[in-house]
Amino acid sequence: MTGTQELRRRQPRFLGLEPGHRACQGCGQALAAALVTEAAGPDVILVNATGCLEVFTTPWPQSAWRLPWIHSLFENAAAVAAGVEAALKRQGRPSKVLAFAGDGGTFDIGFRSLSGMIERHHEVLFVCFDNEAYMNTGVQRSSSTPHAAATTTSPAGRKLPGKRHLKKDLLAIVTAHHLPYAATATVAYPGDLMAKVRRGMATEGPAFLLVYSPCPLGWVHDPRDMIAVARLAVETGIFPVVEFERGELVSVLPIREKKPVVEFLRLQGRFAHLLGDDPKALEEREHLQALADANIARFGLLARGEDERDTVSAARVRRGGRIR
Amino acid sequence: MTAKDPALPQRAATLPPGSSRAYHTGSWRQQRPVHRRRPAPCHHTCPAGEDPQFYIQKLQEHEPEAAFRSILEANPFPAVTGRICPHPCETACNRGRFDEPIAIHAIERHLGDLAIAGRWTAELPPLEEDGPTVAIVGAGPAGLSAAWQLRRRGLRAVLYDRHPLAGGLLRTAIPLYRLPRAVLERELERLFATGIEFRGRCRLGQEIFLDDLRRTHDAVILAIGLSRPRPWSVRGAVPGDLHYGLALLEEWIDVGAAPLQGRTVVVHGGGNTAVDVARLAVRAGARAVHLVTTRALPGDPSAIGPEDVMQAFPREIEQAREEGVIVHPHTTITRLIIRGARLRAVELAAVRALAGPDGRTRRVAFEGTEQILEADMVVPATGEIVDAEGLDRLPRAGDFLASDRWGRIPGEKLLYVAGDASGRGASVSAAIGDGARVAAAVLHDLHRGLAPSPSPEPPIAYEALNLHYFDHEPRREPAILPVPERLESDREIEQGLSASEIASEAGRCFSCGNCLACDNCWTFCPDLAVLKTAEVARDGSHYVFDYDFCKGCGVCAAECPCGFIEMVPEPPPRFAAG
Repeated sequence: MTGTQELRRRQPRFLGLEPGHRACQGCGQALAAALVTEAAGPDVILVNATGCLEVFTTPWPQSAWRLPWIHSLFENAAAVAAGVEAALKRQGRPSKVLAFAGDGGTFDIGFRSLSGMIERHHEVLFVCFDNEAYMNTGVQRSSSTPHAAATTTSPAGRKLPGKRHLKKDLLAIVTAHHLPYAATATVAYPGDLMAKVRRGMATEGPAFLLVYSPCPLGWVHDPRDMIAVARLAVETGIFPVVEFERGELVSVLPIREKKPVVEFLRLQGRFAHLLGDDPKALEEREHLQALADANIARFGLLARGEDERDTVSAARVRRGGRIR
Repeated sequence: MTAKDPALPQRAATLPPGSSRAYHTGSWRQQRPVHRRRPAPCHHTCPAGEDPQFYIQKLQEHEPEAAFRSILEANPFPAVTGRICPHPCETACNRGRFDEPIAIHAIERHLGDLAIAGRWTAELPPLEEDGPTVAIVGAGPAGLSAAWQLRRRGLRAVLYDRHPLAGGLLRTAIPLYRLPRAVLERELERLFATGIEFRGRCRLGQEIFLDDLRRTHDAVILAIGLSRPRPWSVRGAVPGDLHYGLALLEEWIDVGAAPLQGRTVVVHGGGNTAVDVARLAVRAGARAVHLVTTRALPGDPSAIGPEDVMQAFPREIEQAREEGVIVHPHTTITRLIIRGARLRAVELAAVRALAGPDGRTRRVAFEGTEQILEADMVVPATGEIVDAEGLDRLPRAGDFLASDRWGRIPGEKLLYVAGDASGRGASVSAAIGDGARVAAAVLHDLHRGLAPSPSPEPPIAYEALNLHYFDHEPRREPAILPVPERLESDREIEQGLSASEIASEAGRCFSCGNCLACDNCWTFCPDLAVLKTAEVARDGSHYVFDYDFCKGCGVCAAECPCGFIEMVPEPPPRFAAG
């Protein structure tokens, strides 16, 4: 055994995801999946919808998973997870089921089975890794793609500035099911993300977690900026980090220092057409800023100074690790 | 599934299942992360060469003794310098741009005091009994530092000093309220317990002679300081009872008396000696104390550059003013009004530093700004020059002895000058740093060490840190003795921080350019290619890159709070021959 192999064996954390997976450099989804499975622990069964995560973790005959893992179809991860949960319950075993899907498998193709799983109150934590387009098949728009982002099926040109429509407010639809727990998180705040996974796993009944996962390929940003993009999405209000119980907003991650949306746009090629001086670009920039401001107003995202936890304190590190 | 059947053809469907770890994604990489330690600004700026980032780290790792020992590598007197150094490290501290600098001096002092209380010492090689010996003339900060560095390498050093006790100006010129002598004694005891020899009451040219020293020792370092006041007069006039500032200070510290009772005293000068003399005048019962300096107060925007600002430490000037010293900045003495042999008053005039036609700065006293200040004593403290008694043959460079930057005297073999006498020192810490530098040159010239290292790498910039991972937190300020208590006794004015305050201050350190062990790289690697070690990794960090799997995305480098990870181009692959 070489030094690194021995060292890997002695790592002081559980890893559900192994290296050697074929994700792109700086993949936000790979990081998110590693953090989610680390927090969920070894005693879980994974159900994976079709998508990048399924493809890059299981190139036959290899697997990057160190957990029981099932893939069936694009549209039925929630249904399969519900079945696994029912079978475990029938056997009198604790239900520890995770369903993983991308935004395609959640917002669009898998939406029906997700709704059914929540409505039937299956005890499953459904995690959506939201990278805001069909990245696996070559960056086609999804209903999660944000307004004005360029994809191969919503290209930016003279007529249209990227995607014409708005990002689907999936969280509103999910929370309308009045499920016990629903939350959002990002890879930029791993402590917050992992706490929410543990919370979701401990929930009796269905839980839903939307994890904002940057995609360097589809979002056209430098792989090294993966965390920076996710952090700016939070600090601008573009992606609100919130928690719901039984359909009610119970907590948010307040923004200590609000950043202008243009800082978030500037890092990403999918918004490059919005950075020019022409009136249309300016209008769309202002539109995205207004959407972010509306999120901030709707969820009360601005820190008021006395918040125990906000975007700065949640990120804080010290010698010996993160302050959680 | 069982192992593959050799009879079957190799097709995907027949392969046994395995872990993705069999596939090394490291081959995708075009750049790789490497740990690169870079000097923190505190380390880069320290005139004595200490590395505060490192000792703060050791303190946080609950290894205060290791922290203390790392200071000893550069400076044998942390309890002294923690008290009296103007700590340029804190001015340079990157945290100063974020909120307030780390109270590094308080941490250094804390470690020095812990070492005294715990009787900690350094681990040294045995003295080489038959090895070369080095004579050091002058047992002040530079000479003691040089002796210490030679001793750390096993060489024997003999210190000669004209005073009966070692310490130089630490003993004779630093006021007790800045440096309690017990602290100095303990640190000197630790130094001399290592086998460094001291011979007091040896004045060069009287009891000892340079030629003898060179004959009986393998090398000689002159660390004689600046002990002769720069001759002072106002247009040739001097009062009959002229006392120079340094002499007054030495007398005050030695016997606790100075002939200043009830007098109006004008101190001339803007350095630490001038401020110390003004403060002693307050304590000696002067009726009023004025400090006249041609330079500006620190922080005065009208100063044309650092050479136009008082050289005394800002906090000392501040404390002197709190105690009642009246400072007259940008002012000079243009006339002494003397009746008989006694001073009656001084004439002051406004002065400014101006760039002359040749580009050199000159000071101009403006006609018509004169004012009379009644005074019965004027004390010059305008600097000292080298006292070259017994050294007449040696080349001079202005007020100093000539030498190269390693202290080698031109035209002489194995003869060096260190500290203030070389003109390279402006503070105790600078003298300590210079003593160490000269000792390195001596070791090299005696074939006992590598060539002295070249100029250091530039410090890591504020912009190279990722500050998203730090929150604002106020600096802990040591308590300062109130003025009435200061004037009643020689008690130390600045107090130390408590152990918990020290821990809080250490926790504020950004760990510039060195691993903070914060887990960011380990947490954020999307390829699980950063491994954590329980021990310290070979490069001093707590993490190892697994290049079998690292794809070179650079997230670790971007999110390292300390600028400790750098992306470098991937070296071209090496193919085996044949």
